[in-house]
Amino acid sequence: MSVKSMEIIDKGDYAVVEFDLQGEKVNKFSTPVMSRLKEVTAELAKSNYKAVVVKSKKKKIYIAGADIDEIKSITEPTEFRKVLTEAHSIFNAWEDLPMPTVAAIDGACLGGGCEFVISFDYRIATLDKSTRIGLPEVKLGIIPGFGGCVRLPRMIGLQSSLDIILAGKSVDGKKAAKIGLVDEAVPKEILDQRVEMMVNDIIAGKKGKRKKTYKAKKLPNKILESFLGRGIIFSQARKAVMKNSKGFYPAPLKALDVVKKAFGASRDRAQKVEMDGFCEVAVSKESKYLIDLFYLMEGVKKQTGVASDVASKTVKQVGVLGAGVMGGGIAQLAADKNYFVRMKDISNEALAIGYKQASDIWSKKLKRRRLTKHDFKKKMSLISSSLDYSGFNKLDVVVEAIVEDMKIKKAVISDMVQHCKDDAIIATNTSSLSVTEMAEAHPNPKNFVGMHFFNPVHKMPLVEVIRGEHTSDEATATIFELSKKMGKTPVVVKDGPGFLVNRLLLPWMAEAMFLLEDGMSIKTMDRYYTHTFGMPMGPCRLLDEVGLDTGIKVLKIFQDALGERVQVSKLAENIKNSDRLGKKNKKGFYHYDEKGRDTEPDTSMYQELGLPTPKDPLSKDECIERGIYQMINEAARALLEDKIVETPGELDLAMIMGTGFPPFRGGLLKYADSVGAKTIVEKLEGYQKKCGIRFTVADSLRKMADEGGKFYS
Amino acid sequence: MSRNVVIVDGLRTPFAKAGTDLKDIHPADLGEAALKELIAKTNLDTDSVDEVIVGNTGSPADSVNIGRVVALRGGIPLKTSAYTVHRNCASALESVTSGYEKIMSGTMDCVLAGGTESMSQLPLIYNKKATQWFAEMMSKKTPLQKIKHLTKLKLSALLNPRIAVMEGLTDPFVGINMGKTAEILAKEFGISRLQQDEFATTSHTRAVAAQESGAFNDEITPVFIPPKFKKVVHQDIGPRKGQSVEKLAKLRPFFDRKFGTITVGNACPITDGAAMLLMMEEGKAKSLGYKPLARIKGYAFAGLEPERMGLGPVYSTPIALKRAGLEFKDMDLIELNEAFAAQVLACNKAFASDEFCQKKLGLSKAIGEVDPSKLNVNGGAIALGHPVGTTGTRLVITLAKALKAQNKKYGLATLCIGGGQGGAIVIENMNV
Repeated sequence: MSVKSMEIIDKGDYAVVEFDLQGEKVNKFSTPVMSRLKEVTAELAKSNYKAVVVKSKKKKIYIAGADIDEIKSITEPTEFRKVLTEAHSIFNAWEDLPMPTVAAIDGACLGGGCEFVISFDYRIATLDKSTRIGLPEVKLGIIPGFGGCVRLPRMIGLQSSLDIILAGKSVDGKKAAKIGLVDEAVPKEILDQRVEMMVNDIIAGKKGKRKKTYKAKKLPNKILESFLGRGIIFSQARKAVMKNSKGFYPAPLKALDVVKKAFGASRDRAQKVEMDGFCEVAVSKESKYLIDLFYLMEGVKKQTGVASDVASKTVKQVGVLGAGVMGGGIAQLAADKNYFVRMKDISNEALAIGYKQASDIWSKKLKRRRLTKHDFKKKMSLISSSLDYSGFNKLDVVVEAIVEDMKIKKAVISDMVQHCKDDAIIATNTSSLSVTEMAEAHPNPKNFVGMHFFNPVHKMPLVEVIRGEHTSDEATATIFELSKKMGKTPVVVKDGPGFLVNRLLLPWMAEAMFLLEDGMSIKTMDRYYTHTFGMPMGPCRLLDEVGLDTGIKVLKIFQDALGERVQVSKLAENIKNSDRLGKKNKKGFYHYDEKGRDTEPDTSMYQELGLPTPKDPLSKDECIERGIYQMINEAARALLEDKIVETPGELDLAMIMGTGFPPFRGGLLKYADSVGAKTIVEKLEGYQKKCGIRFTVADSLRKMADEGGKFYS
Repeated sequence: MSRNVVIVDGLRTPFAKAGTDLKDIHPADLGEAALKELIAKTNLDTDSVDEVIVGNTGSPADSVNIGRVVALRGGIPLKTSAYTVHRNCASALESVTSGYEKIMSGTMDCVLAGGTESMSQLPLIYNKKATQWFAEMMSKKTPLQKIKHLTKLKLSALLNPRIAVMEGLTDPFVGINMGKTAEILAKEFGISRLQQDEFATTSHTRAVAAQESGAFNDEITPVFIPPKFKKVVHQDIGPRKGQSVEKLAKLRPFFDRKFGTITVGNACPITDGAAMLLMMEEGKAKSLGYKPLARIKGYAFAGLEPERMGLGPVYSTPIALKRAGLEFKDMDLIELNEAFAAQVLACNKAFASDEFCQKKLGLSKAIGEVDPSKLNVNGGAIALGHPVGTTGTRLVITLAKALKAQNKKYGLATLCIGGGQGGAIVIENMNV
């Protein structure tokens, strides 16, 4: 007997189907649940009920979607076909039930859940924060496959539906009512009451079966949604998809294609089109990679950051030492998540920068109406500041973000600790200094840990939680949890030069200078990495963002720490001696306009560095391999030799979240596995002969190649 | 067991003349700035706060119980009650004395009291005609009626608003502006223009000296000015270096152009600013490890003729002293609010006058001479400014910190109150 999931409750004239999947936190559509739904549908079809209501008994969840485990495990299109054909027939049977159906939606109603409710006659959603209705399938590299591509456009029109399907978006109750996805959005508390009123109307014959179809209202929409205007909608949508995905992700394009072909076709025909499209993308490696990534992220949600069962401490008040760009960003983020924040710096002017950082980020949200005036004010009120350590002995965590100088940091930390609670956890936001060494300044180094945010703090999703030699499980778990509460994805790393992400990025940035030396142009090089490989920005652009001075300074630190194999191009010295600092002084590899927005490469750079006019002599492959394979080589050392992280999954997650490494490639090591260690080693050896010792193959990578192994075994 | 009320610590924002550096800061935000810092500075467990009491006279339309707004924005828990008090110029002394009573009675143990005022943000109000017109407009239903009504609007009705700050500074009982009440005192007590200007100069000299010696550093917390945060106000704007009798002599009398002696130079400016005190029952403060600044010995409010409101301190002080069980001569330092130089000087004369004290106060003899070296040692409102709903608390903070700095024992803070009242409070330095 299968697990209990749905139950029909007899209410006299009507029936309520209660969805409560046993043994799970959420309701989802797995094969056993679908067969239960089939039974339920059949039973209802035979019954004399005048209406059917479907409710969820889970908190904050209506129906979370289809079971991703199942999607992941299926590799053959034929298998998908079987599952989808069955699902279509069940949903069609539901749609064709003799009595009107009402979905009482409270909580997440996503993917398959959304596709289910659009086969109902009526939908009522709550205005609760947890209520989200949408189709996130493309985020997993697939397309809606339970009829979403077919029913949604007919119900809410092409524009609104493409908006949801192509971007994998979800909407809240209010928006859902506005675009016609639900009939009304009501306060959570009166959902039952409103549903009952609707059921009474149905029983009284005031409301019947219906097929809700979209009717454009204003003239421009009438034209666009008409037979003639559709072409414009589709071509605009395609442009938007190409802009967002750069064409690397097949799913949204396929979804667009399916919607276009299915629109106006008969239900059976349309569903066949959808199924063909689904099968094509669902077996793609992009989809499998995206699903793997989804699991990695879900994994982080469940993890605590430590192996033991030590619990994290409760954090209410957070201190930020140093109110600069990073400090201000951290203060903003913490206050945004309702932590009380105390900033300290050495001058009022410095503190003002911190306030401005926070205020600017929220002002933008205010302008876009993502934030109300009162919430803006409330959040600002959570931040306070001082020039001394007043208020510090109430803080649970202090994040240090002052100048990157070990001596100064140590002095400040040992001073600060005297003003903090004994059990306060002190975290450093250093990007390049040793956490273990810094901890010497703390009388109780077990309470000292690294919390490395990336710039800009409010946008970059990764936090490296760095365990020093003496860092306790409690401190690690607390910072891990705090990072999650701040909306970030934490990855625990061991102390070591550049920790994980910067250690892997630096060889790539360093290689950019060698590529310039070899006659590559800024534009071509960056374009190869972005448009061919899929990085969010090329190495020259990244150096500009990081700051040329900072980048070169850190490179030198690496050279000291990691030895000869870190080579630095002679161009570095020339750049250091120039006045080019990158984006921060609007002078770097690129031109910047008044507002600091980037424009075209600054071609005067070549001459300034003593380079001839670039002729781009290297092949696309060489240009990309010299950077990416070096990263893989360094990743082998970091993972297998120095054990900076425990698993290849953590490394890939960190690279995707911290550098924007293309998710459709599954991460650096997934990509390495897809190329094969043997090929990479051979190439590296070739480049070593041609270019120098920086390409020396890591022992662990060579071993892997010899044994025919993989990072993911 | 007898209870005592102590002032653990106090903080204020800088004071800025209305229309200058703090003009765009809402009074709730000013109060928040002072409160948040006071909580941080004292490492106060906000759960232990029984009540927040805030003085304010402007009652901003968007924050009518501004005390509650200040409390919540300042980080006080939702469960904790907060309210606003209004006793005109002494609103922020009223908040302190209310807190004192609640702690003394044993009702409460920990109160945050203070005041906030943005005189820059006092509104212009539609006059009666315009208000009437708007009210009638609301009742018009059809577009035609509305258009017809529109033609009835007179531009003069819109262009002659009531100015809240002017009306607020005019006594509603006798219809005399505050400046004019000071003119009455100047004339009755024979206080010359020169004496007033000299007094005003001293106020500036002392305030500047206090700024330079850092005497205010311990009582002021900076205000950051959004949205650009380019400016940080960290000290009072008012005190002028090199203020002189000669410069002041050039100003024309403001309230009585012909025979007057009161100018904008020897009167306090309208001002923005906030101040907050942490008050506790003495035993509680000590058990929490605090070293309080001062103990409150007694207070009093008293009434007099509204047109002579400036003499309020003379009426309230002897009662406060009696309640404190102390004599005027015991007072080592005095903070007497400088609404007008003439008014302070008139008070000094009245304090020392047997005749005045017998006739008006029913005392047997004069209260006592005011030693100018003990009076307003760090300058006063003429230099620093007088945010009406804040000053009471400011006087107590300045007095308590000055007593501590000078290692003196007793202090009196007193002020005149528009409407014809005086307020006074006596405190004892706990660090001698």
